[in-house]
Amino acid sequence: MIRFFEFTGKKFISIVEEFGKVMLLFLSAFLWMFRKPFRFRVIIKQMEFVGADSVSVILITGAFTGMVLALQTYYGFRMFGGESLVGATVTLSMTREIGPVFTALMVTGRAGSAMAAEIGTMRVTEQIDALYTMSVSPIQYLIMPRILAAALMLPILTIISDFIGIVGGYLVGVEFMKINSGIFMSKIIEFVDLADIFNGLIKSACFGLILSLIGCYKGFYTKGGAAGVGKATTQSVVYSSITILISDYFLTAAMF
Amino acid sequence: MIKLVKVCKSFNGQKVLDNLDLEIEAQKITVIIGQSGGGKSVLLKHIIGLIKPDSGQIFVDGTDIVKLNDRMLNEVRKKFSMLFQDAALFDSMTVGENVAFPLKEHTRLSKKEIEEIVEAKLLQVGLTNVTHKMPSELSGGMRKRVGLARAIVLNPQIILFDEPTTGLDPLMSDAIDQLILKTQYDTRSTCVIISHDIASAFKIAHNIAMLYHGKIIQSGTPAELRSSNISIIKKFIEGTSA
Amino acid sequence: MAKLSVEAKVGFFVIIGIIILSYMSMKLGKLSFKRDSGYILKVFFDSASGLAEDVPVEIAGVEVGRVQTISLMNGKALVILKINSDTKISKNVKAIIRTKGILGDKYIELVQGTEQAPFMKPGDQILNASPATDIDTLMKVLEEVAININKLTGSFANVMGGEEGEASLRTIFENVKEMVETLNLTVQKNNTNVTQIISNLSDFSKKLKNISDTHSDDIRSIITNIHGASEEIEQLISGINKITTKLNQGKGSLGKLINEEETVNNLNDMLADLKNITEKINSGKGTIGKLIKEDETADRINTTLSGINDYIRKQETFRTYLNYRGEYLFNSGDVKSYLSLRIQPKEDKYYLFNVVDDPRGKDSITDITRTINDSTTTERIVETERDGLKFSAQIAKRYYDIGFRGGLFESTGGIGIDYYFFDDHLMLSMEAFDFDPDRNFHLKFKADYTPFNYIYITSGLDDFISDEGNESFFIGAGINFSDEDIKTILSNIPLPTN
Ligand SMILES: Nc1ncnc2c1ncn2[C@@H]1O[C@H](COP(=O)(O)OP(=O)(O)OP(=O)(O)O)[C@@H](O)[C@H]1O
Ligand SMILES: [Mg+2]
Repeated sequence: MIRFFEFTGKKFISIVEEFGKVMLLFLSAFLWMFRKPFRFRVIIKQMEFVGADSVSVILITGAFTGMVLALQTYYGFRMFGGESLVGATVTLSMTREIGPVFTALMVTGRAGSAMAAEIGTMRVTEQIDALYTMSVSPIQYLIMPRILAAALMLPILTIISDFIGIVGGYLVGVEFMKINSGIFMSKIIEFVDLADIFNGLIKSACFGLILSLIGCYKGFYTKGGAAGVGKATTQSVVYSSITILISDYFLTAAMF
Repeated sequence: MIKLVKVCKSFNGQKVLDNLDLEIEAQKITVIIGQSGGGKSVLLKHIIGLIKPDSGQIFVDGTDIVKLNDRMLNEVRKKFSMLFQDAALFDSMTVGENVAFPLKEHTRLSKKEIEEIVEAKLLQVGLTNVTHKMPSELSGGMRKRVGLARAIVLNPQIILFDEPTTGLDPLMSDAIDQLILKTQYDTRSTCVIISHDIASAFKIAHNIAMLYHGKIIQSGTPAELRSSNISIIKKFIEGTSA
Repeated sequence: MAKLSVEAKVGFFVIIGIIILSYMSMKLGKLSFKRDSGYILKVFFDSASGLAEDVPVEIAGVEVGRVQTISLMNGKALVILKINSDTKISKNVKAIIRTKGILGDKYIELVQGTEQAPFMKPGDQILNASPATDIDTLMKVLEEVAININKLTGSFANVMGGEEGEASLRTIFENVKEMVETLNLTVQKNNTNVTQIISNLSDFSKKLKNISDTHSDDIRSIITNIHGASEEIEQLISGINKITTKLNQGKGSLGKLINEEETVNNLNDMLADLKNITEKINSGKGTIGKLIKEDETADRINTTLSGINDYIRKQETFRTYLNYRGEYLFNSGDVKSYLSLRIQPKEDKYYLFNVVDDPRGKDSITDITRTINDSTTTERIVETERDGLKFSAQIAKRYYDIGFRGGLFESTGGIGIDYYFFDDHLMLSMEAFDFDPDRNFHLKFKADYTPFNYIYITSGLDDFISDEGNESFFIGAGINFSDEDIKTILSNIPLPTN
């Protein structure tokens, strides 16, 4: 019994400690952003990796989620003659929830894991130490660009995902299910506010922050060779996904 | 000048450095010898602030780097460069970019000037036609030499070498020794070298320090060590394990 | 095809994102633009129950604005409406809270009065406000009717009350029997009269139906008509009152009353009146009560007024702004300052003149070509003049939330694009200039945030694709005054007194 309490107590403390470490890492990454030199080229490289290179994945997932949403809501709404609302429903779910969350999860799998693996490898092969010896802060050189790039690029990926999802929904709704296109669009315009899109984008920026921060954190504190890198990578994906879904609830509660 | 005072460090209860005292003379070559797994690399990392000691002080030009925060340490490290035992090349960059990295970070030289310096340094360590290769395409010895080129490219005040010649053939080892000597002579830098090669150590060192059981058991000129009456040093120099 | 550079790839990616965002916000957020450039009207309602902020304000089913705020003032609901600037609303307008859709969303309907009335100015109050829904209005009319019926029964009570009444009651009861007996006979005798009454009545109800048919899309006129009609009903009831008074005084039987030619004629006259009135209502003139014969005069006044309005508005939108901003460059640790004058003749167009103090100085480039031994060498001399002032002169035009600028940027040609968010509180801009073929052009990205009227903070990246190490993150602040502000400030500065 006592051992149980001891165990849970230790576990709790270690979780709190880990959270504190993540926050400190974030804080120092933030501070390093304002110190010389400004690493534009490294940031741009990360923007390419997180943003531009993820477009194809986002296009495919976005289009098909939009299409499947349209299909499902169509069958549901047809029961009470609400087919005209399919467009608005697809648009609202894409912009508010599915766009930001799916994009964040896809990027976690694609880029968040890569961050953990790459930084983790650099840690175990002393490349991070080498950076230190060259008076280059690895936080500024490795972590800040990734976090900044992810927080900036996620909203753009999300807006692309939103858009392609709506296009997919339009395709299914109007082309296949023969909903009148005018009604489809006018209902979207009637029910969807600009705020829906913007709040979704703000959420996605937060998700970008979360997934890159966790990926970098797990990589940065990797221990134990190749096995450690593997573990860090898996953990970063799992923790990022969980944190994104949990914070999604709170962000949504706070914004909508 | 670098001075370590009563430095202790243990990993998971295993004492690696035990009240270690060491003075490293400025603008001289100091070679540290000792058993494999004896804590030489750990000692070197203490000097450049990569590892913080459990207790003790480490002075670099009079400042105790143990007390410094990350940012101030960053400033102090501008005096240093280091060759890692496993080279620690950035595997996302080409060989050329690896060597150019310190130049890009800390000088305002033009692209062309940097290219010229990089080529020259690579030539000095006996490498040609590798500029555009990735580190993973090189042999261990080649990687080590790229690391060496990267370490000396900026002509820093203090250079730390962790086994610069291990894994190289005798001729190449000798060439590297000459290069270190020349670099040190030209730039009047302070060099700390970890070496298992006793012969080369005696050739290039101004001072030699012997690390044993977490302590520096003797440090002095090669001649002083040669005439040492501590048995472990005698055995170490003679290379007999009996 | 050459492989795209990293910069180009990211650039395309970001531009595509911004295009999609702009497209979507233009589609969905056309209101947000209108919201910026509207004017405000106030209206008090007894109850704003069910009304929410940002619901539409409509005229004849067309959205002309939105509800901005709802608050309580002196026990009444103060509702601020933001009306699109291109919608003119006359002074005698009426504001009504209405219900739309199955879900019963509330919105505000503005019912324009006559064309003659002058137009509302920004900040004016709509005096005629009714919180009533259609059903509420009907209930009110019915209430009036009920009051009248009360009066009617009151008269009856008078008839029946007292000893005298009792006596008459007895007479009446006696007469009822007589009446019932004679009714058949009467009807037969007065067949033509009764038929006429009935046909009159049916005519009236037809007219009523007609009214509701032709205005079925516009329920409000029915209500107005019912209002009018209720007045007539009142008349009718007073007529009935007269009858009952007669009944009261009447010594004879009911049969005698109905037989009386005069009474029947009265009733007929009354119904004819009613018919006349409803005809007027039908043609849209009756209850409005004003027959406008001098349409031409009204037209003339109207055009004159709108001309004056246009002129005044032009004067109002012409603005000049004086602006200073400083940017701290992290790369060099210097401050780059801008002093600018912005002349804005129209809301969507302005001219910008800048004096820029760039700590990194100004480059003057001279190419010297020499020919020695048949080989030509070109030498480029770049002189950097410290404290070099640079000048900008730009013309800017704005479409919805996007603004475009072109002209002189820091003494070289360039273009810029601005994107406005959150009622213009946040502006993102991208500028490209200094297109020298031998080096990367100067790109600048900045975000200006204006939390209050005069002061704004700014942050961004300057010259971030520089190949000369000029790229820098910057952060800064600025102040911005319009001519009005300056006037106010100057007039409020206390003069030193000796
Ligand atoms: N990060 C670490 N965590 C735990 N133990 C460590 C760590 N670094 C070094 N050690 C331990 O410290 C001891 C000294 O290691 P070090 O790398 O300094 O040896 P060395 O003298 O450089 O040996 P070699 O000549 O083989 O390179 C070893 O026993 C090693 O297990
Ligand atoms: Mg070692």
